[in-house]
Amino acid sequence: MNILYTLKEGVLGFRRARLSMVVSIMTITMSLLILGLFALFYRNTSSIMQSFRDRIEMEAFIDQSAGEDAYQPIGKRIRAIPGVKSAAFISKQEASEIFRREFGEDVHRVLDFNPLPASYKITLEAEYRNPDSARAIHQMLSAIPGVDDIIYRRALLELIEKRSKVFVLTCLAVGILLTIGAVFLVSNTIRLAIFSKRKTITTMKLVGATRMFIRMPFIIEGLIQGLVGGVCATGLMYASYAAASHLIGPELYDFITIEPMLYPLVLATGLALGFLGSVISIRKFIGENVM
Amino acid sequence: MVKLSDVSFTFDGQKIFDRAACEIHRGEFVSLVGSTGSGKTTLLRLLIMDLMPSTGTVTVGNYISQHVTRKQIPLLRRKLGIVFQDFKLLEDRSVYDNVAFALYVTNARASNIRKRVLHALAQVGLSHKTVSMPNNLSGGEQQRVAVARALVNDPFLLLADEPTGNLDPVTSQEILKLLKDINAEGMTVLMATHNYDLVRKAQGRIVQIKDRKLQEVQLKVK
Repeated sequence: MNILYTLKEGVLGFRRARLSMVVSIMTITMSLLILGLFALFYRNTSSIMQSFRDRIEMEAFIDQSAGEDAYQPIGKRIRAIPGVKSAAFISKQEASEIFRREFGEDVHRVLDFNPLPASYKITLEAEYRNPDSARAIHQMLSAIPGVDDIIYRRALLELIEKRSKVFVLTCLAVGILLTIGAVFLVSNTIRLAIFSKRKTITTMKLVGATRMFIRMPFIIEGLIQGLVGGVCATGLMYASYAAASHLIGPELYDFITIEPMLYPLVLATGLALGFLGSVISIRKFIGENVM
Repeated sequence: MVKLSDVSFTFDGQKIFDRAACEIHRGEFVSLVGSTGSGKTTLLRLLIMDLMPSTGTVTVGNYISQHVTRKQIPLLRRKLGIVFQDFKLLEDRSVYDNVAFALYVTNARASNIRKRVLHALAQVGLSHKTVSMPNNLSGGEQQRVAVARALVNDPFLLLADEPTGNLDPVTSQEILKLLKDINAEGMTVLMATHNYDLVRKAQGRIVQIKDRKLQEVQLKVK
């Protein structure tokens, strides 16, 4: 294949049909912006849900009748349970301190004695922060002699789990639909651009060009459109975020963060859209009869 | 060189050819005649293997319709020159580029392209129009460019589908003369037309499409 000729034709395609190229690039840019904003929404909502999940802790209270000698062995057994990341000991004294901080009263003064039990504050490994694992760990904790009661925010954990499943599935469905829509939109726009070059394609076929030879300039054009569309979309996203943070202030970063990986991802998606759009569109015209 | 054996072809439920047969030999000038819609263009499409016969065999050079693969069809077309009534020139390229286009797409050596294009343009008498754009040329000149493009790959068969259909009588004569000159140099030419005056002047063999068959005819001398 005459690579230089193919490249030249691919680039010249821009000059020969400027308007349709601009329309294709704008379509790719808009599609990428929608996909990018959706990805942003998904990532940020996911991380908010994750931060809720990260805050889930268990607290195992030690039987008041167990002596202080039992505290350490109990802690050892707790830490040996699979899924337990850490277990921090809270003595009776510390518990009364926490009570005082949270309720503003000294429990000693009210009751003349400290009724609060010592406990272990347990954090779980990330992959164990779900209702099933938490239930299993709860059971194992209960089986440890000297552990009186275990509390954790089961209802919240179950709610997060349920909602996050619905959220992920909804996002997956919307993401797939958006991607299909973007490919469809881009391929249709590129098809219109290729339609104006049907005569060239027919002539190519008549003089004996192979399918690959006919296809290549259009694919190169598609890739260039995808790349330019990607750059535009990336630039717009970056500029919008910068403008928004300028208007709202640095607090914006607490709510919405754009991971640096998003920009190359948008560029790569632009290339993929341009490539797929042109491959899908050119297929129809290559298959047509020549006369 | 070209042989149609028992060729039947049906398009959209309508039978165009029914066991048609014909043979064209090297160096001949054959006029293909028939009324509008009789199947002249269909026959040319069968020869360039844009269409395949429902039954029977089309043989063009070494390519046989029954055995040809999709990848071989471009190779067949590189050995054919094709000229149309509507020229099929690319309006966004110069005369030179239109002719060179046929060489670029067939991966011709870059060093040969210029020489071959200029030679083809000289053959059709358009050496002075290399940089002109098709829209700035007359109909006759545009058809000459199309002939040059058809010739530049040095084909063994030139197919012309109503080559003078869009041209005035004087220009038509010029194009016919060009085709006859090319034929005189040894190229086989098949010209489809419904212009009997042109056929008479062509003085070659005449094949007529009638009742879905191909038959040899002799024109009555006026």
